Amino acid sequence: MPSAPISSIPAVQVDDVHKRFLALEVLKGVSLTAHDGDVVALIGSSGSGKSTLLRCINMLEAPDSGRVVIGGEEIRMKTARGRGTIPADPKQVERLRTRLGMVFQNFNLWTHMTILENVVEAPIHVLKVPRAQALDEARALLDKVGILAKADYYPGQLSGGQQQRAAIARALAMRPQVMLFDEPTSALDPELVGEVLLVIRKLAEEGRTMIMVTHEMSFAREVASEVVFLHQGRIEERGAPAKVLGDPDSERVRAFLSRHLGG
Amino acid sequence: MNWELMWDSLPKLLGGVPLTLQLTGLSLAVGVLIAAVAAAARLSDNLLFRSAAWSYVFIFRGTPLLVQIFLIYYGLGQFDAVRQSFLWPVLREAYWCAVLALALNTGAYASEIFRGAVLSVPHGQVEAARACGMSRWLAFRRIVAPQALRQALPAYGNEVVLMVKASSLASTVTLLEITGVARRLISQTYAVFEIFIVAGLIYLALNTLAAVAVRWCEKRLATA
Repeated sequence: MPSAPISSIPAVQVDDVHKRFLALEVLKGVSLTAHDGDVVALIGSSGSGKSTLLRCINMLEAPDSGRVVIGGEEIRMKTARGRGTIPADPKQVERLRTRLGMVFQNFNLWTHMTILENVVEAPIHVLKVPRAQALDEARALLDKVGILAKADYYPGQLSGGQQQRAAIARALAMRPQVMLFDEPTSALDPELVGEVLLVIRKLAEEGRTMIMVTHEMSFAREVASEVVFLHQGRIEERGAPAKVLGDPDSERVRAFLSRHLGG
Repeated sequence: MNWELMWDSLPKLLGGVPLTLQLTGLSLAVGVLIAAVAAAARLSDNLLFRSAAWSYVFIFRGTPLLVQIFLIYYGLGQFDAVRQSFLWPVLREAYWCAVLALALNTGAYASEIFRGAVLSVPHGQVEAARACGMSRWLAFRRIVAPQALRQALPAYGNEVVLMVKASSLASTVTLLEITGVARRLISQTYAVFEIFIVAGLIYLALNTLAAVAVRWCEKRLATA
C-alpha cells in the first residue's frame, strides 16, 4: 500500500455536532477526524445517526451546532428565522462540496443522461473543465470501475452494481480529496455487492481518504483504518478495526456484532 | 343537410382561424410565463408566495372560464379606477380581455402541471447534483428541468388542446374567431346544424395538428 502523505491539517474534521429532526435528537455531540489516507468506517444499527453524520460533512444536513472543517476551512453557519441553523454562505458550501465525492445508497444517477454524460456533467458545469478533457477523464474512470462498455447506456439499462460503479466514477470525476460513501451496497442484490466493494477496496489501496457508512463488517475490518461505532447519536466506541470489530470494550458493540456476524 | 351551404360557409369560417390561433397562441405564451412563476411560488419556502399562488390557482381553476371572461370584460369597466388607469386602453378591448382571461386560466392549470412535474423528479437526483457542488439554480437547470419537462409534456399537450377549444368562449364578447363567425353566419342563415358541423371540423383539424406537434416534441425529448 502506498503511504499517504501525512498532513497536519485533517481532510475532514467534525467537532461536537448536534442534529435534531423535530423531537428526535439524531446526533448528540459527535466528533470525527479523517486525515489524508484514512479510511473511516461508520457502523451502528439503523437510527444510530451514522448516515446523518456523513450527510452533515457535506451539508446535505445542516448541523444544529458544532463545527465542520474541510481541509482546514470551517463551514460558516448562521441562524435563519424558521429554518434553524444553515450555512452562512452557499457559495462556500458549493465550493467545499467539490472536494467531497458523495456516493449514495440509491446511486442517484441522473436518469435523463447516459452514464458518460453523468460522469462529465459536474466537471464541465461546476469545475469548468473543457469538454474534451472531461470526456477523456470520464472514459478512464469508467474503465477503472469496469463499465466503459456501458458508457452510452442510460442508468435504467444497468444493473444496480453497474449503476453504483457509475456513481463512484461520477464522484471521482470531481477529483475529490475525500470520498463519502453512504451505505453503498445496501440497495444491491447480494450477488452484486462484491463488484462494488472491489472498486471501493481498490480506491482504499490507492490511499484515498474515505469515510464510509457500511453494514459490511468484514469489509470494514479489511479496508478501514478506523472504525467508529455510533449508538443513539453518540460514539459508543472507536478504534482500530481489529479492536472494535474483534474485541470491543462496549457490550453494545458486542451485541451488535453478534447480530451481524452470527447470522 | 344543405351541402352547398356548408361548402360556402367554409371559407368564411376559415377566416376566423387566424383569430382563434392568435387568442390561443398568445394566451398560451403568457399563460406559460404565469404558470412558471406560480409554480415556482408554490414550491418556494416563502409562506406568502406559497399562499398567494395557491389562492390564484384555487380561484381560477375553481370558477368557469366564461364567468372569468365576463368579469374581466363587463365587470372591470365599471370601476372608475380601472377606467382612469393606464390599463384601460388594453382592458376596454374585448381582444385583450379574452387573452387575459384565457392566459390566467391556463396559467392556473399549467402551474399545477409544472409543479407536479418538478415534484416527480426524485429528491435524490437533486441531492446528487448539490453534492457535486451545483448551485440550486444549476441543479434545477441541468437536472430537474429536463426531466420535469418530459414529465409535463403529455399533460401540457392536453392543456393546449383544451385552450384551442376554450378560445371559442371569446365569441361571447364580440370576437369573430371561428365560433364567433359561425354564430354570425347562423344568425343570417338559421343553418345551425350545418355551420356548427363545419366549425367543429375546423377545431378538430386544428387540434389534430396540435396533438401531432406535441407528440413530435415528446419523441424528441424521449430517452432511449
